[in-house]
Amino acid sequence: MKKGWIYAVIVCSVSLGIGLLGAGIGGAHKVKHTPEQLKAFEDVFMEQVKIGDLLFHGDAATEKKLGTKLSRTGMACAMCHPFAVDTHPYEFPKFQEQINKFSTLRDMINWCIEKPNEGEILGADSDAMKALEAYIYWSNRGSKLDPGRH
Amino acid sequence: MDTPEREKRSIPSIDPAAAGGEGITRRAFIHRSLVAGAALGAASQALFPLISTLDVAYGAQEFRFAWISDTHLYPKTLNTRFVEKAERAVNDVKAMKPAPDFLIFGGDLAQLGDPVELQLGADILKNLSLKKYFIPGEHDWYLDMGATWEKLFGKQPWSFDHKGVRFIGLDTVSRGPDYWSAKKMTPAERMGHMATLDGSVAGPWAGVGADQLQWLAKTLSNWPKDKPVILFSHNPLYEYYPPWNFWVRDWRDVQEVLRPYTKVTNIHGHTHQVLYNEIGTMRSIGMLATSWNWPYPPQGVPALTVPMVRVDPGDHFDGVGWGKLTMTAKERVDYQYMMWRKDVFSQTQVDSGTGDNMNQILSPRFADRP
Repeated sequence: MKKGWIYAVIVCSVSLGIGLLGAGIGGAHKVKHTPEQLKAFEDVFMEQVKIGDLLFHGDAATEKKLGTKLSRTGMACAMCHPFAVDTHPYEFPKFQEQINKFSTLRDMINWCIEKPNEGEILGADSDAMKALEAYIYWSNRGSKLDPGRH
Repeated sequence: MDTPEREKRSIPSIDPAAAGGEGITRRAFIHRSLVAGAALGAASQALFPLISTLDVAYGAQEFRFAWISDTHLYPKTLNTRFVEKAERAVNDVKAMKPAPDFLIFGGDLAQLGDPVELQLGADILKNLSLKKYFIPGEHDWYLDMGATWEKLFGKQPWSFDHKGVRFIGLDTVSRGPDYWSAKKMTPAERMGHMATLDGSVAGPWAGVGADQLQWLAKTLSNWPKDKPVILFSHNPLYEYYPPWNFWVRDWRDVQEVLRPYTKVTNIHGHTHQVLYNEIGTMRSIGMLATSWNWPYPPQGVPALTVPMVRVDPGDHFDGVGWGKLTMTAKERVDYQYMMWRKDVFSQTQVDSGTGDNMNQILSPRFADRP
């Protein structure tokens, strides 16, 4: 009898929690976004793009702030990829010949850091990696999505 | 390879209309010779050079000269790869038989204009005992505004006549508009912006300038209009993707001065890639860097360029090299991209440096803007 009561409480609590969560998520879509909200969302993204741009161009202060060492040769990403040209973020995931495996853009970013630049690879979910990814995608926005293309 | 042999060869990509349906036009001839040259080079030399032909008229004996540029040397303590490649190019030139009449160094000897970098370059090039001529690149200039460069390599522009050709060396880098004084930049900051190809601060810095244009007109004034002129410049003398500052901003004025001369060839560096164009009567040949290769921009690659292959970023000797140029007794100049790989020019879309960018749309950077 006691066990049954406890079980009922747990079920009710879980149901209430899911309900509240659903209401919260649903609420985000039911309320019309204000221009201020949209601006705030974009600012979050563009802040990361800017950090990524600076990392991509070898900015020493940004590297120091994030604790990264993306190159030991003097070369920055942008020296081979001005405007992030020839990075092809829209082709990933794909088989990447240099890595010899099915790879993501993040895998390729780390390959470039480690091999040509002789730097220290980034954690796949690190702030620096996400910022670099943001910049590369932003600079290539509007390109045709073409995953798997060699 | 003599002319009849070249004309026997053909490639399917040639537009029949361009060939005129009655043999080979000069334009088609050049394109065909690019591919034919690859096959010949592959069969005959370890470096597999690719030969093209320009029918520049002259009336004297055959001679050869060599081009090295864009070594972008850092101090040895930071980067030895670029040193190795510069030394390899120098050793290749040294091994040329018969020896070239001279070497032209086409600019960007240093990466950040550091006197240590420039001296390192001078020391590497000292291993070549032949006559050397120099033109500067922007990386050589904007730390100390050319002071070390001029001390080591003299002033530009210059001109000399050699075996029936008037050679001219231009300075296309030193006349950049002042973007540093108002912002109170340090010399290193000024150099840093100039060294960023896709930066937005330095603006359209490359130019010949009114004073040098006057000098050019005067220097050419006593030269017959139908005799060959070869201009060396760091930057190409036509508009080529301004967002990356490839171009010379007053290129139209340059063309105006050159217009009366019917046999003009411009040989340039800076673009780090295989490049060919024709503007009016001027042919333009873009040479390789020894340091690293740049991908083609998303727009503006001249239609006359046969693109180079996609290169392997895992091999730092790939996609780079130097240039061999021959003025033949048949009134032509052969040029060879001495790239350290087997295939220089793309044979199919999938291995093409321009084909690789087919789905690409790019945006200019903004993080360096105020």
